[in-house]
Amino acid sequence: MNMRISHFLTLLGLCITLLARAQGAPQSGGDFSSNPQPKKLPTETILVNGAWSSASDSVTPLPEGGKVANNVYNNQYFGLTYALSPDWTEKYSGPPPSDSGYYVLAQIRPADTFKGTIRGSVLIAAQDLFFSLTPASNTLELINFSKDSLNVDYKVEQPPTAVRIANHSLIRFDYGSPVAELHWHVLATQIRCHMVQFVFTGRDTKLMESLIQDMNKMSLPDEAGPISGRGGGEVPVCVKDYANGENVMERMDPVFAERRFNPVPVRIIIDKEGKIKHIHFLSAFPDQAKAITDALSHWRFKPYLRDGHTVEVETGVMFGRAPRPAAPSSTNAATE
Amino acid sequence: MKTTKLASVFVFLPALFFPGMASAQTDPGVRSSTGVNAGQPFASVTASPNDLAFFQTGLAQFNEHQTVTGDNPGLGPRFNLDSCGACHSQPAPGGTSPASGIFPNIGPNPQSQVIANGVVNGGTNTIPYFVLANGPVREARFPFFFDQFGNPNPNAPNGGVEDLFTVSGRSDAGSCSLQQPSFNTAGSTNNIIFRIPTPTFGTGLMANIDDSTLLANHRAQGGNNLGISGAFNHNGNDGTISRFGWKAQNKSLMIFAGEAYNVEMGISNELFTQDRPLPGEDQLGSGLPSNCLNLARVGYPEDITHSGGTTASTVTSDVGLFNVFMQFLDQPTPSTTTPGGATSIANGRRLFSAIGCATCHSPSLTTQASHLTPGLSNATANLFSDIEIHHMGALADNVSQGGAGGDQFRTAPLWGLGQRIFLLHDGRTTNLLSAIEAHESNGSEATQTELNFDQLLTPSQQQDILNFLRSL
Repeated sequence: MNMRISHFLTLLGLCITLLARAQGAPQSGGDFSSNPQPKKLPTETILVNGAWSSASDSVTPLPEGGKVANNVYNNQYFGLTYALSPDWTEKYSGPPPSDSGYYVLAQIRPADTFKGTIRGSVLIAAQDLFFSLTPASNTLELINFSKDSLNVDYKVEQPPTAVRIANHSLIRFDYGSPVAELHWHVLATQIRCHMVQFVFTGRDTKLMESLIQDMNKMSLPDEAGPISGRGGGEVPVCVKDYANGENVMERMDPVFAERRFNPVPVRIIIDKEGKIKHIHFLSAFPDQAKAITDALSHWRFKPYLRDGHTVEVETGVMFGRAPRPAAPSSTNAATE
Repeated sequence: MKTTKLASVFVFLPALFFPGMASAQTDPGVRSSTGVNAGQPFASVTASPNDLAFFQTGLAQFNEHQTVTGDNPGLGPRFNLDSCGACHSQPAPGGTSPASGIFPNIGPNPQSQVIANGVVNGGTNTIPYFVLANGPVREARFPFFFDQFGNPNPNAPNGGVEDLFTVSGRSDAGSCSLQQPSFNTAGSTNNIIFRIPTPTFGTGLMANIDDSTLLANHRAQGGNNLGISGAFNHNGNDGTISRFGWKAQNKSLMIFAGEAYNVEMGISNELFTQDRPLPGEDQLGSGLPSNCLNLARVGYPEDITHSGGTTASTVTSDVGLFNVFMQFLDQPTPSTTTPGGATSIANGRRLFSAIGCATCHSPSLTTQASHLTPGLSNATANLFSDIEIHHMGALADNVSQGGAGGDQFRTAPLWGLGQRIFLLHDGRTTNLLSAIEAHESNGSEATQTELNFDQLLTPSQQQDILNFLRSL
């Protein structure tokens, strides 16, 4: 047995040596004329990520995991299905999630082949209530903040109002820019502690109304609502700041090898036994994700009870350097 | 028949609604009729004889041409050019890439003239393929190291500056013999990116904006409904927000100057104390050969504070003088009437804000009290930048600097844009429309805003925005 191990280690060492020699020392220049056809890098491709999103597994749906296929935007995490208008498409995908919990889910516009004169776009975005810099605890408050933050270039056309779409209550907020002759119609709801919003932008309000009417064909989860949307049912209950105080029975702080100064927002799902079953890094460098993953494997939580039963719970934990948020709102509706 | 008529109406109406559609809007180009509107010191500097003398000495040092040995020693052994002012010259010292034939006709790309001007030896150096007489001054970087066969290795990030030229063959360089990096291989494998000089007008104001102001501005961007978020790059030592360079990787103008003196001109100084090899020579190799060290024969660092000086100007090191020069440079003066007239510019400014450009290109931020000169104190810096780094998708250069990833760039300050020739981080275009167009792509935070500009505005409105931008 020892002999076999010895042979194995010898072979392993030989392989590593050969591999190292084959690769050679990396270099920035030299005479490469002996290789007339060196490999090319792809162009206009992001190969070097900074702080980026990642997850502990590839099975659990992520907020940013939605896709447009067969002219339908489907997002498994939010339980959302939205059919695009004919000849509209997602030309460009959005950026990665931000370190304040903002997601560009889809950017829809008329396809290049579209022959008509329709001018408009639909931005589907989400803002979580775990890491938002805005002092709001639900979608209604976020939309009100958006209204209150409008600068003088815009004019409110319809203040935030509850509307019924796709058999759910949504908040609708319309504003426009007189100088640009553009209008923004925002329809928002709350799902799993995230504001999910549809932002219609265009010149033609009739077109925009028509697109909004088409939203009746979309499907939303039962929980969707302007101030409800706290998970539950087949998805985890979401609770802001659950990973605090007495809820955390065991914890270990991550040990970072490198000192960085970025916020590292982490969304976690805790199973019924109080162990972490899923980790989603909205924005983290790989070394940060590794250190936090290692630390979170030691965390144990008080199981979350709903109606006397233990249920899975989803929450956010901020590592790294958190940005300074604005003053907190008076209510905390996202906390059960 | 009825259908045909109806169709005609539908075809005709949009043309009426967007009357400029047929005649496409155009970039007015570099503003030339208002004189040079940048490069002056603050009025408070002009009013102070000592400060003005300091500024003028800094300006002279900024424009001075360095040599390997002699009165202005230290150049090389690797460098991109021999003077700060040669690269930062459009439309005035402190600016960016110049050109001949475009106002104010400063001259051809000085990097294209280094052999003709005797700055490098043509027998030992060639002008890289990407340096063109009518192109921008460029700094080159290889995002990845090559393996021994000349294949770029995506598992070995590089990203450091690959200086274009060497002193080899110059009469004052002794036996130092260095090869230029393999630019042709890098080009043929797409393993090369470029940066052009950032203009330094108004940078003293940028340096004097407190972090709290930047953070408040960041928070105010929330709820923009445009797909924009943003983040800050931070200084690795004290953790405060860094702000200079294309990726906001440098904390201060002093660091910025010290690094540039070392990296771009090969002159060691009190901030960067060694002569700089290429990334491959230093990080993974043996450094510079001994016969390429101390070529100036003055020891290290080559640029120092002068204990024998008698005034601030004569005591201060070159890097210190560069810092003073940049700190005291006032922001560019925009035109209220050119191009396109006052109404168009004012309209363009409002449109710029309305469609979302101003979310990142923050029109102004206020500075804090300054110990340097009153002009920097509690001033309105009309920089049109939030100094944040944003994901810019296909503009990615795959160079990571500090906390900025390969696709993240600082929102380029737009002040002085009316008199810039080359646009975007690599100077790939001189056309403002192309630069705006490049803001949309997979993974870019600016896609929705660019769409607003490109698809939802009328050509007349687009022209107003272009006029406004060229008025800056």
